Amino acid sequence: MSTAPVIQVRALEKRYDKVEAVKGIDFQVDGGEVFGLLGPNGAGKTSTIEILEGLRPRTGGDATVLGFDPDRQKQQLKDRIGVCLQATNLPGKMRVQEALELFGSFYTRSLSSEQLLKRLQLWDKRAAYYETLSGGQKQRLALALALVNDPQLLFLDEPTTGLDPQIRLEIHKLIEELKEEKRTVVLTTHYIEEAERLCDRVAIIDEGKIVAMGTPRELQQRSRIQSRIDIVTETPLNGNVLPPWPEALESSLAQDGRSLTVYSSRPARTLFEIMKWLDHQGLQLEDVHLKRPTLEDVFVELTGKKLRD
Amino acid sequence: MKEYLAIIAMDMRLALRLRAVIFFNYLFPLIFFFTFAAFMGRNTDQIAYVVRMSVTLGVLGSGFFGAGIRAIQDRELNILRRYKVTPITPAPLLVGSMVTGWLIFLPYIVLLLLLAHWMYHMPLPAHMLDLLIFISLALIAFRALGLVIASVANNMQEGQILVQLFYFPLLLLGGATIPADNFHGVMLTIHKFVPSTYLVDGMLNMMNKAQGLVSNLEPVLMLVITTFIGGFISMKLFRWEKEEKIKGSAKWWVVVALLPFIVIGVWESFRH
Repeated sequence: MSTAPVIQVRALEKRYDKVEAVKGIDFQVDGGEVFGLLGPNGAGKTSTIEILEGLRPRTGGDATVLGFDPDRQKQQLKDRIGVCLQATNLPGKMRVQEALELFGSFYTRSLSSEQLLKRLQLWDKRAAYYETLSGGQKQRLALALALVNDPQLLFLDEPTTGLDPQIRLEIHKLIEELKEEKRTVVLTTHYIEEAERLCDRVAIIDEGKIVAMGTPRELQQRSRIQSRIDIVTETPLNGNVLPPWPEALESSLAQDGRSLTVYSSRPARTLFEIMKWLDHQGLQLEDVHLKRPTLEDVFVELTGKKLRD
Repeated sequence: MKEYLAIIAMDMRLALRLRAVIFFNYLFPLIFFFTFAAFMGRNTDQIAYVVRMSVTLGVLGSGFFGAGIRAIQDRELNILRRYKVTPITPAPLLVGSMVTGWLIFLPYIVLLLLLAHWMYHMPLPAHMLDLLIFISLALIAFRALGLVIASVANNMQEGQILVQLFYFPLLLLGGATIPADNFHGVMLTIHKFVPSTYLVDGMLNMMNKAQGLVSNLEPVLMLVITTFIGGFISMKLFRWEKEEKIKGSAKWWVVVALLPFIVIGVWESFRH
């Protein structure tokens, strides 16, 4: 992964009349990185990305995208980036291939429409009117339009919202391909599993502020929520007294005497010790589950809200 | 330049795929023409009057509904939002709208003049090219006014109200439907302020008095100035997204676009 910063944001602010949508946020996105912005509706993530796309002026702070100021060098910036908007449309009677050729003509550099149609699995639909496409096909076309100028930086604003799981997986695959091609992607999403799977780093935004930033794993580790280990043995444990396993914060045994639950801050070490103990006790293991805090748990912990609030 | 050509080519394709465009640009005005010609076509002067009425109806329809309402529709449907993320400015979209309207409308004018000539023996204008240029100027000027309305209307409802507020007075008071000889007193004064008056007067001079563009510099100038002012205002107030609301006071920009007609109306009123 290239480490040169592609996006630099310092003390960024956005105000609409009396509403402060973005309250002085700082972050940077490196080249080749997939950077996720997570937050509930109205958190300020769309305002932030629209400022970076050159679509809205900022109220305060500094922002540089590919070396351009999004306020002052809009045209140059738009020529170099790819954008997949949350809500957009095309004229109903526009054909798929025509749309790619039309939008391609707006840029100084563009890819061939045939290449994009094949890549986005739209080749069979190239002569279809936009109004006849399904939701998934429209979204694939939106992504093809975002790629029409062969951009090194893409902004994908909730690209899978409202799509069925099959199409969502196809789009995930495409984003992974973009990552392999060393393109930088800024992604906003409501789907935690999408962020966990695709993003190198995420920033959690709430009420216009970044409340946490890091790799999904770092955020999970930083969480105060402990990992939970669930163990089921073949025969009941002798007695109810459980030893103080290292790093275990709380242990409990169910009434059947076979189901053991242990909360730990370092689950790998605790689990290893439990296994040793069970072996020493001569007990056979029937089932074991380790549940780490998900990004969703971290999100709820930090914001007190559900992501889809 | 390539974005201008691409948008014009695309707009043309889209327009020709819509049955409504064909109906309102060709079939409806032709039905209108033949119906009125059947009632009034006793002499060539009356046929020329029906031709002027039909052209005015088409020019106003193309300007206010074809350009104005269509632009609001594209914004309301989030179509313009897709263009906003590309490096283009509003200029190619506005120019594209004007050129497409002209390319679609011009064949109708030629067809109408030829039908009036062959079927009702109306003499062809002495300066045919001048007349076509004049009607083209009018079409572009009224499309510019339609785009100004689209720029100041916050939604389709507001747009419909504004369009109706202009369309009917311009149709009825410009002398195209009710002949200007019938206007007296206040109505005659209002008639002088109405933009469509200059379109109808110019056509009358070119079709009935064998005049060319040079003899009609006043209406030509008015239409050219309106095109520039309308184009400038619609460019300045252009909005890509329905969420970008414009203040109510911005609607006064429509009056600014009509300034040439207000000035000439005042001048004409004092002159007479």
